[in-house]
Amino acid sequence: MGARHLVVIGNGPAGKEAAAVLRDKEPESRITIISKDHEGQYRPNFLPDYISGRKSLEQLYATPFRFYQDQEIKLRLGQPVAVLDLEERRIILDHKEVIRFDGLVIAVGGRPRIPEPLLVFQDLMYTLKTVQDANSWIDRLASVDSVVIVGGDLTSFAITRALLQLGKRVGFVFSEEAFWPQRCNDQILRAAAAKLAARGVEVVPGRLKRIVRHSETRFEIMTDCRHLEAGLVGAFFGLVPDVRFLAGSGLQIERGILVDEYLNTGFEGVYAAGDCAQVYHPELRDYWVSIGYDNALRLGRIAASNLAGGREETTVPPESLFCDQGVRANTSWWLEF
Amino acid sequence: MGKLDITIEICGMSGDGTIAAGGLLNTAMSRAGWSVLAFDSYPAEIRGFGRCVTRSRFGETKQIALEDSTDVLISLDDKQSLSRIPFLADDAVVLFDNKPSAHLAEGESIAAHVAPGMALYGAPFLDLASSASGSGKGRNLAALGALAAIYNLPLDYFREVIAAKFKSKGDRVVEANHKSFDAGWEYAREQFADRIRGIPIPGTAGEEPEKLLLSGNVAIAEGALAANVKSYFGYPITPATPIMEYLAGKLPERDGRVVQMEDEISAIGAVLGSFFAGTRAMTATSGPGFALMTELITHGVMSETPAVIVDAQRGGPATGLPTKTEQSDLLAAVFGGPGDSARIVIAPTDVTECYHYTAKSFRLAEKYQTPVIILTDFFLDNRVENLVRPTSRPGDIEDGNVYPAIADRWNYHRYRLTESGISPRALPGMEGYIFPATGLEHRQEGVPDFSPENHMVMSQKRRTKILSALADLESPVEYADPGRLDVGVISWGSSFGAALDAVNTAREQGLRVGALKVTTMYPYHAEEIRAFMSRCQEILIPELNLSGQLATLIGHLFPKDVIRLNMVTGIPIYPSVILVKIREIIGVQGR
Amino acid sequence: MKTSGKALAQKVERIEASEVFSIRSDELPTWCPGCGYFGIHFGINNAIQQLALLHHQVVVVSGIGCAGRYPFFSHTYGLHTVHGRALPVATGVKLANPELTVLAVGGDGDGLGIGGGHFPHAARRDININYILFDNAIYGLTKGQPSPSTPVGFKTKASPQGTREQPLNATLLALSYGASFVARLFAGDPEGITRALTAGIRHEGFSFYHVYTTCVTFDKQNRTWDHLKKSVHALPENHDRTDRGRAIEHVLRDNDSLGIIYQESR
Repeated sequence: MGARHLVVIGNGPAGKEAAAVLRDKEPESRITIISKDHEGQYRPNFLPDYISGRKSLEQLYATPFRFYQDQEIKLRLGQPVAVLDLEERRIILDHKEVIRFDGLVIAVGGRPRIPEPLLVFQDLMYTLKTVQDANSWIDRLASVDSVVIVGGDLTSFAITRALLQLGKRVGFVFSEEAFWPQRCNDQILRAAAAKLAARGVEVVPGRLKRIVRHSETRFEIMTDCRHLEAGLVGAFFGLVPDVRFLAGSGLQIERGILVDEYLNTGFEGVYAAGDCAQVYHPELRDYWVSIGYDNALRLGRIAASNLAGGREETTVPPESLFCDQGVRANTSWWLEF
Repeated sequence: MGKLDITIEICGMSGDGTIAAGGLLNTAMSRAGWSVLAFDSYPAEIRGFGRCVTRSRFGETKQIALEDSTDVLISLDDKQSLSRIPFLADDAVVLFDNKPSAHLAEGESIAAHVAPGMALYGAPFLDLASSASGSGKGRNLAALGALAAIYNLPLDYFREVIAAKFKSKGDRVVEANHKSFDAGWEYAREQFADRIRGIPIPGTAGEEPEKLLLSGNVAIAEGALAANVKSYFGYPITPATPIMEYLAGKLPERDGRVVQMEDEISAIGAVLGSFFAGTRAMTATSGPGFALMTELITHGVMSETPAVIVDAQRGGPATGLPTKTEQSDLLAAVFGGPGDSARIVIAPTDVTECYHYTAKSFRLAEKYQTPVIILTDFFLDNRVENLVRPTSRPGDIEDGNVYPAIADRWNYHRYRLTESGISPRALPGMEGYIFPATGLEHRQEGVPDFSPENHMVMSQKRRTKILSALADLESPVEYADPGRLDVGVISWGSSFGAALDAVNTAREQGLRVGALKVTTMYPYHAEEIRAFMSRCQEILIPELNLSGQLATLIGHLFPKDVIRLNMVTGIPIYPSVILVKIREIIGVQGR
Repeated sequence: MKTSGKALAQKVERIEASEVFSIRSDELPTWCPGCGYFGIHFGINNAIQQLALLHHQVVVVSGIGCAGRYPFFSHTYGLHTVHGRALPVATGVKLANPELTVLAVGGDGDGLGIGGGHFPHAARRDININYILFDNAIYGLTKGQPSPSTPVGFKTKASPQGTREQPLNATLLALSYGASFVARLFAGDPEGITRALTAGIRHEGFSFYHVYTTCVTFDKQNRTWDHLKKSVHALPENHDRTDRGRAIEHVLRDNDSLGIIYQESR
């Protein structure tokens, strides 16, 4: 088998762009995208509108399968990776199939984050990352009138808007944990709370302490000052890189996969891009996390380009980075609520 | 969305329980009220190291053909299942075991080959069965359980058919199998909770009368039993052997018998001897055996002795392809053998007709004093359909013999010339009607006579007799709107289902087409066929033989050349292939 | 017991004239004058008379050859089938109506050549039919080709240098096929044929009758009346017809003994 095998893990914007660029730069190589999702690539930022009915399922999907066929990119959906073996340069899928690679781009994106103190209530809360998640929301919303949103990341505002459009009663519990990786200060908090209240959202003070389930559609939410009831609790604490399966692979992992300014992991031919990556900034001598759709596209392109022999830097102007809890972040997506 | 219609395949290596799982699925779905058409493929060699594929089409209305597109594939052995990938629909569902015992190289898992639009459902069949029942043997049942969960199929029917099938092996086995099935179901319910695809169950579930699953071969055997056949003389040959074996179990309890003869020649010899003495007998064979029977068949024609012969066609020529389907014995059946030896040849198109045509063939043989050849093919013989238990119509099975009158006693001429050509036939044991039957040309008394006038007259007599059977034989059936048709599709045997399916689709697409089912191959109803043809712009005859044997037989009834669609692939013709041809003839682009 | 061809013909003529011989059909036999088949015909018909069988309950099934024409000359139901296939057809007739007495007749070519494959199975199937093999060691109807029982060195138009193959021994074959009743007879001894048939028709099982006979037209040097008359003789007094092994041994040594060679007690 003469041709090089280039593998991309993740079929989000970063992964798909990486594969497209690789195909462009290496017409003879074999390219495979592996994704644990069963659905094709979709736009996560459209999910709240899908829930409210303002966008159709077709509009969610970003890239038709035809694209992969035409580009001769093998797309393997619904096949999670179990093990990454950098020494042998191979991936073992969950169903025990072994894939050897010559070059690898890891673009697994992020998964909804639940802060440590609230992990115990994880099963009681709904998150929103995938189309399946959105469908679960739609199913449950059919039989509840009220929703409590806990957290406060970027998506939480979009989902609140969607819920109001559906005529649901919305309660909002801000959490200082929630604003990661955003800046969190009182000023922003108050401004956000005011805007929510103006729309009829009940902003609940205090920290979230407990959630009790009385039934499938009746939950009791307790902060240190208030009790309230709702039919559904949504958790919106931002994303963490979905890299649990990479533990033990040898990659350096902090919040995400540590890569240099060329997005290389330190292993030859192995790159990371998108929400799952923490990128080194040579000027600041520190790592920053990339958030957002457009960022993912850009990083995906750069990682692929460099894997194919390029030497492109990802550095962003230092002032576009903000810092929270010791973590720098750059976001391409700010939603004006 | 059109009528619900789903094709499910199970593919594995022999020993995986593939065929058993397919059978359970067919029975359960039949109980649930679906119409079933299923056709399995077995390994070619006896030692059985080979691929087994069960293929079942379920629908709300009677299924008459299989398509080349599969909606669900259950893989019990990925290596074997890879061969099925080209037949999967773009959005097919694939179930596979996602916990193989050892690691697989890239490409060895079926997951490597499914297209992105297909839905992959991985479940650890082997582990589930082992944990639930202590043995991995039930992994085919765990897979069925997963399927049932994914499609929200009613569990009771599955559990019932599992209990029924394994009853003879004892309660422990039934319980273990239920556990394997349940384990697959529970796993799938949980793991695929967000990917369940229910299909509505038809309202006919549990309705009386209950439907049975019958294969063509069993229907043939049951039809013969309905006609009170007493003796089956046969010789093992694929695909006719199951008929012999089925009757071997049933005939002794009815004072009958199956005698396995030393070859096909002795088989047909004994059938003729039996009918000569007045007792119904039959034989079933395939192409090579049929060829051996030819001389004696013409003896039956010349001596005007009844016989019933099933030719279960398979790939030819010579030994050919014993386990593949084909329709290439038509001309041999109609014309084979020395001389002008016209005889009756009929060809059923589905399992129900297999039953009824066999049942009535004995009466026809007796009345027209001729061998009657029933043409089936591997696909029709081995496929399974669900149908209400067939019962014979009294008119079909009554004694067809025309006995001599008292007035003819002591002055009986066996081959007396009559208007219809039918000479009353005495049976040995009847006093006063002694006669010799012979394969030599003979005069009315039955003794040899080679004179010119006699041969002319007797040849015409025999031919007239056969043609007189037209009124007694099934006429062709039209499936068309009245008026002009752009294309008329004529087909026979198991290919007719595919032709009708294609015509139905074409009509839904607004095309002016129709179908004609021909089941009486000889003598054929020239008038009716010509009448249908005359209102068609073009005639298309799809059939599973290379030269177009039906086209050759009846093509002359159409003023211009008929269009032949000939396939000799060993597999049934697909409706989609016929539809493409129809559209091409009409001049429409695309499918 | 031993009768010359001419004397036989005269005997038959006398009997024809009498009214006792009512089994004859109206058809004149196509056999040549002096043919051994007349004697066999006589012997068979006497057996039918003696057993008081009703003619309409007797079926004669034949193959192709001079012997094949037999059904036309016999006033019974007849079924003249194709070459070599009398035995399976007779099987079908008997199974269809066990009340019938079924005789299968054919020559040595019909029975040992093309029909050779049916012989062992009829024997092992042991259905109650009677197979009479008219063995004149030649193909007569097609005008004189060697047959499976023709001896080595026999010259015909088809074998101008003389035949090279070993002849088959029908009696030996029947014994080794497991036939439950085997008799060897001579067309010049119709009484012997009658005796054997009356026993064999009553025998509940497959009865085989190997009848030595002549073809006066095409064999003037091998199996002639003279030759047969001189060589045939009765079975020894102490012949044990219940011991198959002994019977086989005997037949291997003695090809000319006549009588019931083997009969399984039933």
